[in-house]
Amino acid sequence: MIARCLAGTLLGFPLAAVLLSLLLHALPQGGDAYVIPALILFFPLWIAFMTGAYAFRSGTRAWLTLGSANAVAFFALWLTRQAAGL
Amino acid sequence: MKSATIRTFQTVHTWTGLIAGFALFVAFYAGALTVFHDDIAAWQNPPWRSAQDAHVPISSLIDHLIAQHPETRDDFGIVLPSDDAHAAYAYWQDKDNARFATASEMTAPSDVAGRGDLADFVYALHDSLGLPVVGLYVMGIVSVLYGLALVSGLLIHLPQLAKDLFAMRVGHNMKRLWQDAHDAIGVLSLPFHFIFAATGSILCLFTLTLAALNVIAFDGKLFGSFAQAIATAPTVAASGTPAVMLTPEQLIERASAAALATGVTSFEPDYLHYTHYGDRNAVVEVRGLSQHTLGTYGTVALSGDDGRVLATHVGAKLSINGISNSSLYALHFGSYGGRTVRWLYFALGLAGAFLFYSGNLLWIESRRKRRHVDQPRSTRIMARATIGVCVGTCLGISGAFAATLAATHLGLDAAISQQFACYGLFLAACAYACVRPIPRAAVELLTATAVLMIAVAITDLFGNAAAWSRAWAPGTTSALGVDLTGIALGIVFACLARAALRRARHGDAHSVWALPAPH
Repeated sequence: MIARCLAGTLLGFPLAAVLLSLLLHALPQGGDAYVIPALILFFPLWIAFMTGAYAFRSGTRAWLTLGSANAVAFFALWLTRQAAGL
Repeated sequence: MKSATIRTFQTVHTWTGLIAGFALFVAFYAGALTVFHDDIAAWQNPPWRSAQDAHVPISSLIDHLIAQHPETRDDFGIVLPSDDAHAAYAYWQDKDNARFATASEMTAPSDVAGRGDLADFVYALHDSLGLPVVGLYVMGIVSVLYGLALVSGLLIHLPQLAKDLFAMRVGHNMKRLWQDAHDAIGVLSLPFHFIFAATGSILCLFTLTLAALNVIAFDGKLFGSFAQAIATAPTVAASGTPAVMLTPEQLIERASAAALATGVTSFEPDYLHYTHYGDRNAVVEVRGLSQHTLGTYGTVALSGDDGRVLATHVGAKLSINGISNSSLYALHFGSYGGRTVRWLYFALGLAGAFLFYSGNLLWIESRRKRRHVDQPRSTRIMARATIGVCVGTCLGISGAFAATLAATHLGLDAAISQQFACYGLFLAACAYACVRPIPRAAVELLTATAVLMIAVAITDLFGNAAAWSRAWAPGTTSALGVDLTGIALGIVFACLARAALRRARHGDAHSVWALPAPH
């Protein structure tokens, strides 16, 4: 219970942040026109990850899945930045 | 959904509710009153009892500001009063503190907005429990927990939602009745609660969130894009050439004309923002409220020198960022649909407070020992805490109204009286709930709240007797409306006290709420 709670809270935060950053990158001009809607979406998204974490069978699974999701999302963000820098 | 998952969500719902419920009760009760912020302000300072500096023109407020604090000329704001009986005040940043002052307070500016104003005191209770800085963050975390409680609560009830939604099983099983009331209010006002969970958390935690996201995912570029997203005026450097500014009245008139030209039905200016005052490149942003649109807050930027319109961000001219920012506030404060929506928010706000109160009652009820007069220690503590904190909040806020009335007539410092009465009564109620037998504490504190509310309203009604027959102004309606609402709420509290007494005497004896049978 506590492990899933921590997984959702601690890993859900950066995951929500990176997903929104990726979403904005995908929009024209780096999503400058959608910054406020993205910020408003942040808390609902984080809360969704926190709630979703409890649906995992165990704390270990929650940490592994959300951890890998973070790794993939951060890698994608890094790739996007490299592509934009070229 | 598997039953194990539902049980997990049940635990999440219970714990988030327990942790956040008390603070949410305060937020919703004080928030319901905050919907009528301007009316409460008019109650304190009706047309016949103007606030200090109410008649100082805005231009002389600005003259006082520039004379006393010349360094502010590059960036300051003027908060316009809600009506003629209130004073405009200046706002500026002083190194690391926000400063607020009306014309006569320039030598000793305050670090809180509207010090001594009852409406602003109730607002501070709503957004931060009245505690500076820390309170706002606490309420932000509470909002996040509230979101979790909301989603988990919905998931628990989802399987039997359609079947049970309109069921009210009134009968001997009190748990069922409370459960049905809790679910019905929770589900029917769900969209409203989603709005508050989402807007409340971002409004409270905004600076922290922005700083965190900036580092984590935005490569340090978020502050720049955010500033650009909410900018409503072009950034201009000072020219160094002095110029005579148009008067605030002229600027407001031009801004209103430009705003109405975009097609909004109304535009009531509430804030002016000056940059480079007294310079030929001075920019003045006039912010105003429009009704019947989600882009409630609009801004027109003008040149301070000749009144040219530099930018219009109103109604249909708002960008996606602008309309999102504007509707964030509009949806949270219910300022988009006139009186009807305000009353709706008031009712839903009180219903929200009831939701958290009934949540605690359910927790107690579900742990009740059905064959014992003595109840578990945990439920007795919960019952005392619920009565002390929830009824104590209502009593404390009524105390702040009473203190405002007393301060006005006895010439005391309003801010200190309000804090003393509100926190004093709240703490006294908590202490009282700890030592009195539980059912007696509930009945007596509810009665005290009812009596105080009605007494304040009646005193004010009679105190202003002469005014009700004089020429009628919008402020008069507001003041009278607050008194009448106070009496109505007082009657509701009296009914609650009566119901609690009945339950204590005649209800099931195996409960924390029952009075011991007379020997």
